[in-house]
Amino acid sequence: MNPVLEIKNLSIDLHADRKKFNVINNVNLTINKKQKYGIVGESGSGKSLTSLSIMNLLPAPLNIREGKILFEESKDLTKLPNKEMLKVRGNDISMIFQEPMTALDPLYPIEHQIMEVLRFHGTYSRKQMKELAIEMLEKVGISRPKQLMAEYPHQLSGGMRQRIMIAIALICNPKLLIADEPTTALDVTIQAQILDLMSDLTENYDTSILMITHDLGVIAETCERVAVMYSGEIVEETTVENLFSNPTHPYTIGLLESVKSLGDRTRDLYSIPGTVPTPKQLTGGCRFASRCPYATAICREQAPPLFSVGTDHQSRCWLYGKEEVING
Amino acid sequence: MYAYIMRRLLLLIPVLFGVSVFIFVIMRIVPGDVAMTILGTDATPESLAQLRKDFGLDLPIYQQYIQWITGVLTGDFGESMRTGKEVLPDILSRFKLTFELTLISAVISWIIAIPLGVIAAVRRNTRTDFGVRIISLLGVSVPNFALATVLILVLALFFSYSPPVGYVGFFEDPVKNLQIMILPSIVLGTAMAGAVMRMTRSSILEILRQDFIRTIRAKGAKERVVIFQHALRNAMIPILTIIGMQIGTLLGGTVIIEQIFSLPGLGQLVLTAITQRDFTVVQGAVLFIAFVFVMINLLVDIIYSYLDPRITYK
Repeated sequence: MNPVLEIKNLSIDLHADRKKFNVINNVNLTINKKQKYGIVGESGSGKSLTSLSIMNLLPAPLNIREGKILFEESKDLTKLPNKEMLKVRGNDISMIFQEPMTALDPLYPIEHQIMEVLRFHGTYSRKQMKELAIEMLEKVGISRPKQLMAEYPHQLSGGMRQRIMIAIALICNPKLLIADEPTTALDVTIQAQILDLMSDLTENYDTSILMITHDLGVIAETCERVAVMYSGEIVEETTVENLFSNPTHPYTIGLLESVKSLGDRTRDLYSIPGTVPTPKQLTGGCRFASRCPYATAICREQAPPLFSVGTDHQSRCWLYGKEEVING
Repeated sequence: MYAYIMRRLLLLIPVLFGVSVFIFVIMRIVPGDVAMTILGTDATPESLAQLRKDFGLDLPIYQQYIQWITGVLTGDFGESMRTGKEVLPDILSRFKLTFELTLISAVISWIIAIPLGVIAAVRRNTRTDFGVRIISLLGVSVPNFALATVLILVLALFFSYSPPVGYVGFFEDPVKNLQIMILPSIVLGTAMAGAVMRMTRSSILEILRQDFIRTIRAKGAKERVVIFQHALRNAMIPILTIIGMQIGTLLGGTVIIEQIFSLPGLGQLVLTAITQRDFTVVQGAVLFIAFVFVMINLLVDIIYSYLDPRITYK
């Protein structure tokens, strides 16, 4: 297996009021070629920050404290000079964002926004770029690509815009596509279409996907492997089958419960009590302890490492403390 | 679009009607009239009454208005009560100067303000940013007359330079004309630049926070492309609004600067006419200035729709 992307011991701090607050702590994950990898978690769990750090697009008060992000086993994206990074963005790694409504520049026609990527990453004639753009629009299922080229984002529906975002993201044939909540802002009927489209296209292009979502349904539908994030840490990491058949971390169990109860009308909707602690509220122990029904004394005092809880399955919980430690 | 412009032009009618009535009434409420300023304080009541009769000032006010406005509608703005010169050609010849002054000042202000505003926004909270903000604050708060006086003095004392005296039109002698116009334009331009700089900075900062900027960065765009092709263009609408207002105001004449540099512009014409109670000139000039202001606003609105495809007029 050749990894496309390896994140090693990534920690990110927020600098505010002349203090540092840890927002991403010691994240490790490996995405293999053609793999579809999911990160799931609530808002504030750090999943979007992780993805922005891959693109080296973290907003100013956030800084990578330590760790490596290796692209194709050689390039450390955290240390890449800006000039090199520009060649990676949109070309080797591209990204789709949550809000298709605001993710496109309102002042330029679709044509410009697609062809722009080609202009950044290659030397094509105008005619070639136009042909490639129309071809790509056809691939993302747009029925009248020629007319659409001249239209502006505000003239299109959310689903159409997300298709265009996908076209922009895939036109340079990237090795990795990061999709940050790509369907959250869309109608339910459109969501499945967009997910299918992404899966099909990446299949053809040999592109790996990093799917970031709060929706376990999206993970189940699209991903092969998954990391559950909570408060800036990976709390459970395994294959999608393992996660759904044998969840181990109390947070994962809570997440699954709150989905499962939807099909079961006899029960009330389950919800995990409390909210994700802000970086300023963190104490020494397990970050989930304050909301965990199984929390014991050790949970409040000492942060748990990732324990191996079965083949290809790791969990950050003291309940499995007897097993072998994978990493700190 | 065409229909929209026609509708806006039709709207001119009520606006200009309102302005004409307003200025007409105001001029007649203000104490003193043209007869008194011509004949002086020791004029006899009989001669005053005679002069007023000659000017038609003895008629009821509505009759005076109807007389004046019917003239205006046929393109005849009347004659100056002081000089006997026709009003409209006088306004137009002075407007030429004011227009040139405004244009050069505006261009100077854009050359200073937009690049500095962009730099300040991109380097937010650095020394560069603070420097630019101080300059813009100075631009906004230093009075025109102070800057003008200092400029004239410095040039005269240290460089033994003084601009040529006496106005010459651009098409008569471009070099001399520009020599005359450049100093007042610098003074007006720096004042305008302050406001434009602040607006550019805050507007670009606002745009840089938007999602689509992140998308463009994620595409691998160089910072130059992000800023100039996307951020600045999106930031232009509020900047254009400020510029439109500034130009509209300047086209109405700049009394103080025209006085200091002894330029025979629109501002000077109006000022003199007011002090002499030269009714026809004041009325004509105010009506003309209102017309120009409305046209500038229309122009700005049309530019909006070219800049932003979301703005359409039906």
